Amino acid sequence: MENEFYTAEFEELIKDKADQFRMYPTKRVWHSIYNNLHPSRRWPSVFMSLFLITSLMLIGYLNTGNNTVNRQINNLAYNETYNQTGNVKTINTKKQNAAYTKTKQLYGKNYDNAFEDVITNKTDLYNYTIVKSNKPNYFNLVNGVAGTKTNADIIAVENNSHDKELIQLMDAYIKSNQILTDVAVNNKKNSINNLKRTAKNTNADELIDDNSLEDLNATATNKAASSKPVTNKTGIDKLNEVDKEVTSKISAVKIGLTNEEKDWIENFALENTSLKNKWKSRFAVSFYVTPAVNYRKLSTESKGSATPFANADINSVVNQKPGLGIETGLGLSYTVAKSLIVKAGFQFNYTKYNIKADQINHPILTAIVLNDPSTGNSYPAARISTVSNSFNSTPIRPVTLHNTTYQISIPIGFAYKLSSQKNADWFAGASVQPTYVFDGKAHLISSDLKSYVSDRSTINSWNLNFGFETYMNFKLGTYDLQVGPQVRYQVNSTYRKNVALIEKPYAFGLKFGLTKAF
Amino acid sequence: MTDDLMLSGCLRNNAAAQEALYTRFSPRMLGVCYRFAKNREDAEDMLQEGFIKVFSQIHQYRNEGAFEGWIRRIVVHTCINILKKNKKFSDSVDITNAHSIHVREEMIPSIMQAKQVVECIRSLPLGYKTVLNLYAIEGYTHKEIAFMLDIEESTSRSQYTRAKSMLEEILIRKKIIQKSKKKTNFFGAVSPG
Repeated sequence: MENEFYTAEFEELIKDKADQFRMYPTKRVWHSIYNNLHPSRRWPSVFMSLFLITSLMLIGYLNTGNNTVNRQINNLAYNETYNQTGNVKTINTKKQNAAYTKTKQLYGKNYDNAFEDVITNKTDLYNYTIVKSNKPNYFNLVNGVAGTKTNADIIAVENNSHDKELIQLMDAYIKSNQILTDVAVNNKKNSINNLKRTAKNTNADELIDDNSLEDLNATATNKAASSKPVTNKTGIDKLNEVDKEVTSKISAVKIGLTNEEKDWIENFALENTSLKNKWKSRFAVSFYVTPAVNYRKLSTESKGSATPFANADINSVVNQKPGLGIETGLGLSYTVAKSLIVKAGFQFNYTKYNIKADQINHPILTAIVLNDPSTGNSYPAARISTVSNSFNSTPIRPVTLHNTTYQISIPIGFAYKLSSQKNADWFAGASVQPTYVFDGKAHLISSDLKSYVSDRSTINSWNLNFGFETYMNFKLGTYDLQVGPQVRYQVNSTYRKNVALIEKPYAFGLKFGLTKAF
Repeated sequence: MTDDLMLSGCLRNNAAAQEALYTRFSPRMLGVCYRFAKNREDAEDMLQEGFIKVFSQIHQYRNEGAFEGWIRRIVVHTCINILKKNKKFSDSVDITNAHSIHVREEMIPSIMQAKQVVECIRSLPLGYKTVLNLYAIEGYTHKEIAFMLDIEESTSRSQYTRAKSMLEEILIRKKIIQKSKKKTNFFGAVSPG
């Protein structure tokens, strides 16, 4: 009998304690249940995702679509013509013919005669308009990598008329969309610079005047007949003479064109300027690191019969110290306008906040204040604590508690250029950062303000942050370096909605970023 | 939100009512699941499946008995079904000289908390803790347990006896309860300690 009595008592105690036990599920559980019960409500987000993806693809297509033809020609001809060191490779005749046919089809009769003539009769391509845009390529080819070609190499290429014609022809294929009078002027300058570099490398005395283009154009017709290459001159001399001759012939051809033909060429070139580079140059990728000092502001939100938190200003009764955190990530930026950049990225955040407390030898029963979501009323929830609040007392066993979070966020924002100097720009920007907290530690002050309760499950998994920054952008060659202060503010409490204690952290940091354009 | 309001909302598949019901009962139900599960993640999976069943079968609730009790039964059955998929319940360990410890309420110090007891229950072998949970805490009979777990009724009884004995030892070892001067086995033989 006695045994039965004790057994029943034991069972009752076990049952009572087990019934008292409660756990708070993560939000994931409710989201899964909700999605299972209301599958149709997922469609708006699916449609929105599809819409965004489609929009991005459309923007990409519109930005690059017109250049498909040029890319095909380039890939077909250019890759077969040059290797990485600029040496001439054997030209595949089949592909050359294919490129020629394609070019003929695409670019019309204005080029038809030129290609036909060069290929069938081996005539000099310099006689045709198309050459004027390709001259720099020709000279680049002849020069190769600056300073690596000898005069003998140049002469060898020059003397091989067959190679020369093929090179010129393929150059014509590659750059046939860049025939524009204005472009030709730039090209002329480039070719002159190339000649000057070559001359410098070979200690040649003869330089070509940068401003000689007009003179050359003016005297083009007269010089065209007489300026043939002289075989016993040096390579540099020959190049100079070839350049003059080409320029003269270009001018002559230009004069010979009808207005209609000039318009066609200019319109064609205008519409086929390198759009690929246009959108590409607007994108940039960046890596940044922001060491930040984390602060927090505590408040409470409780109502009902429970009278939690004896003191009005909870910040004044906790011994708290800011901690050092870090934000680091990768970003993609797009220059929308001259002074406006939009940004998006992927960021990792580590936040830390320190609390001075007193370790106690034995666990004590205490409570934190929770809010009932259905009624909104607050109630104390029992918890165990082994750390007491050391505010206004000397701790016997001092201990520092660390409230930490590990977050992943997707910052989306913009930067506006406030001023610009030669090598430095000043920007100000803002971002909104949807944030997922995947780990952390939470030490909450108890309802009587005497203890700290450690409860990881009170941390809210999703949050929203705002970032504000101003920085200087320094141009360092192909890279940009950004340095500037940043403020990050968390919109919602660190803790879940049912926790009456509200913590809103904010951080002041110094951002260091490195950006490279595509 | 009252139970009636929640119930009528859930019957209309109203999301707000469903969330209110979930918010009210999920902490206690997760505590139930946690006692059966291997870890918190498994417990949350059980809870999720249990509540989906609750919402999909809520029209079967007849207003007979406590609403919470009805939810709890569904959740417990869900836990058992999930466990049955993964493990047989014939697990047992051989305990010889199983001693029962007289426990009086005053023996349990004030520090004894629900979580500690639950953790001790969870540390039992799967078969033991399942039977102990169902019999001692959820209030099922051995006959019902045998049916639920596809085991013999006698097996359920012996598993429970052993589970209780082991739990007592764990509670004593962890100093959650104190050892009585009187010691007895579960079959009635009282011996001086």
